[in-house]
Amino acid sequence: MTTTAAPAPERARRLAATRNGGQMVAEYWEDLFTARERGKQIVWYNGGAINPIFQAAGLAWCHGEAFAARLAAQQLEGPAQLAGAEYGYNAELCSYSRTHLGCAVLTVQGDEGANTGVVGAHDQAELAARLPAPDFFVNNYAGCSTGQQWDEISYRVFDKEVPIFNISHPFLWGNRPDAGYLKGEEWESASHYVRDQLVDLIAWLEKRTGNPFDWDMLRESMTYIKRAAELRREGLELCKSTPAPATFWDWISAIAPINFLPGNQELVDYFQSVRDEIQHRLDNGISGVENERYRVYFDGIMNWNKLGFLSRKFAEHGVAVVAGRYITNAFWQEPQLIDTEDPLLGMAQHYLLCPTNHGTRTLDYLTLRDCEEYGVDGIVFHSTRTCRAFTGPQRLLARSAQNTLGIPSIFFEGDVADASFYKDEILESRLTAMLEAIDVKRAQAS
Amino acid sequence: MSSGSAALEALRAAARDPRSYIRAWRSTHPGQKVLGVLPMNFPRELAHAAGVLPVIVPDDQEPVTEGRAFLPEFYCGYTRNLADQAATGRLSDYDALFVADHCIQLLGATDVARELDPARPVFLGQLISSLNEPWAVRKTAEMMSELRSEVERLAGVTIEDTALAASIRAFNRDRALLREVFDARRSGDSAFSPVELQDIVAAAQVMDPDEHRELLAAVLRDREATARDERIRVHLSGHLCHAPRRELLEVIEEAGAVVVDDDLWTGRRYLQASVPEAIPPMEAIAQWYADRNVAMPCPTRVQHDVDWDEWLLDSVHRSGAEAVIHLMPKFCEPHMLYYPELRRALDTAGVPQLLVETEHEGIPLETFRTRLEALVERAHRNRPAYA
Ligand code: SF4
Ligand code: SF4
Repeated sequence: MTTTAAPAPERARRLAATRNGGQMVAEYWEDLFTARERGKQIVWYNGGAINPIFQAAGLAWCHGEAFAARLAAQQLEGPAQLAGAEYGYNAELCSYSRTHLGCAVLTVQGDEGANTGVVGAHDQAELAARLPAPDFFVNNYAGCSTGQQWDEISYRVFDKEVPIFNISHPFLWGNRPDAGYLKGEEWESASHYVRDQLVDLIAWLEKRTGNPFDWDMLRESMTYIKRAAELRREGLELCKSTPAPATFWDWISAIAPINFLPGNQELVDYFQSVRDEIQHRLDNGISGVENERYRVYFDGIMNWNKLGFLSRKFAEHGVAVVAGRYITNAFWQEPQLIDTEDPLLGMAQHYLLCPTNHGTRTLDYLTLRDCEEYGVDGIVFHSTRTCRAFTGPQRLLARSAQNTLGIPSIFFEGDVADASFYKDEILESRLTAMLEAIDVKRAQAS
Repeated sequence: MSSGSAALEALRAAARDPRSYIRAWRSTHPGQKVLGVLPMNFPRELAHAAGVLPVIVPDDQEPVTEGRAFLPEFYCGYTRNLADQAATGRLSDYDALFVADHCIQLLGATDVARELDPARPVFLGQLISSLNEPWAVRKTAEMMSELRSEVERLAGVTIEDTALAASIRAFNRDRALLREVFDARRSGDSAFSPVELQDIVAAAQVMDPDEHRELLAAVLRDREATARDERIRVHLSGHLCHAPRRELLEVIEEAGAVVVDDDLWTGRRYLQASVPEAIPPMEAIAQWYADRNVAMPCPTRVQHDVDWDEWLLDSVHRSGAEAVIHLMPKFCEPHMLYYPELRRALDTAGVPQLLVETEHEGIPLETFRTRLEALVERAHRNRPAYA
């Protein structure tokens, strides 16, 4: 006779409000898949959230990383990655780029693609990716050099037939003593440089689409986005409470809406509902993790194949992942910079504030600040195998957290969009060891 | 030892042991600074004109030990080696480090160096990498003048235009002489082995240009041109920032191939473009940066009308190479991204090719030998039967 062990009770209490976001995102993609039929021109872009400009230019937009993340989160990345591998992309190449380039290869090769403008129609079932072919590329990648090179290669995969616009972003290295987070001459000059390029992008889009740019729409959508971002920040602030009413994983679920959905009232309502649910939990003593025992900071880009799994795994150990670089320091995270009457400068600044576009000194400042403010016991570094931009400074950050705040950390290997790099036993054993060390430290302190 | 052999030995010593060269230079230039330059496009002329010795920091081929604690193992071998040099104090020969290029892995390693020795200046003067933009020329000029000011600050001197023009001439002369050697190889001369040529170029990346040129001239006076034999002619492509292992170059020739051209960092990539001498020196340096990517395309740059794949095909036609060996440093992202374009172009043109992923340590030489022999076989089949 076989017995089946009862599943461990679910200790992760994910927010209900983020489910509505999932629905909004699904509708967005459906809309994009039919954009061509509705006579829309389509732009493929990478990097910072430049979609408000596309919205005001009357375009439909597809964020390459978001599309790769979506495929990975739905475990549908296989066919695109296989197409990329057959084309010659090495398995150690950034898996976002290789998934997205695989889509590009399928688009170009697709039997019906050339006629219908639909990505590899024969692979639709597996891909669930009725991604329309691009009319334009716009590259808006800060921080990681791979981002700019990837779009240049997409341009070549499409035989240079799709016009491309590149925005160059200075890396915020911090050469001068006055340099720091949101300050110094380097920050000011980089902000204006990127802003000026946005003006050029708008002229370029006007010329190529034949549509006059709708400045009122840009102001309007940025007003909504600013409000949504403020609500998001309020929600993040509330999560500093102990126990945390919501976790990093809830905020991961809320990335897509803030990253690429249109700026409108629906977006504001969504973040209002997220914030309100967190407030409601605080008022009623409901925590994001049942019986929170440890508070942890997560550094690294998301492992999209494992979102639900990781959320449960940490909760099972009584670990509330309360903050992380990819959440706290990304995605319209400084809404006060946005002047809704003249939003371009604040937009440019957010593109520069990509969490991979800082030298280690600034990242160190941000990480230590967040660890202190969120009352963190330890740091988990996702050593994201194919993302060198996120992983480069991690060892220095771990060293600094230990030396400055006495906070221990662990590393586990995984990837943004390639499940094969994830090693569960490593995470499990290292996490257990770190939690035991935290227990010992607490016992000694008491 | 003949004067040519002695000169070659001096070049080899500088290439393989730059620290001793630096120390000797310091003893004859008291009070003058040594700048560590990271690949790829920092104009060393600026530092030379300020009386500074600009040394392109090489992969010193030591195994990565303490550096492991600072950069992940999936960074390219060069950057892991840099991190290791930083972690073990092997960068202490440099008074400052300058980098002008945005490869994220390179910046990661540079930041390790900065964090581990905060007292040493580490300057990023990021040159624009998207070269078709209408503002690219202006931004390049602005950055070059920032680099000039920063070098002046480091050296504590003002760089005079006349001194800069003289430095430009010195580097140009050295590059021109190197180019003669490479062009001769392309035209059928095999007087130098690939390892010798690599040492000669690697020495140029370390040494004072006049000194390097004089030594190279002495080597050339002593070395007869040698007609190439009948081995399969190959072009080596890749290794954008550091030298491939010498053993690997030796195995390539042992496996029945003869290297006739390359686009390696310690090869033609270093010497392909000169700085124009007929225009004001700061303009000339900015122009050189733009010219470099045309003279030899680099996958870290974005320039829509310049193609590494086309350049490679042209180069193969010029040299008569019968096969291409891609030397791709493991984890080098720009190379991984561009490689399928190269493969597609060569396949279409019917040029046999082999991709070799190179590791920083532990090269499986015998496996390479077998794969190289197979490539040589394939290329032989392309030769006319009566030849
Ligand atoms: S390596 Fe990371 S930061 Fe760079 S393009 Fe890929 S996912 Fe983006
Ligand atoms: S270009 Fe390639 S070899 Fe050079 S530093 Fe970057 S990853 Fe390394």
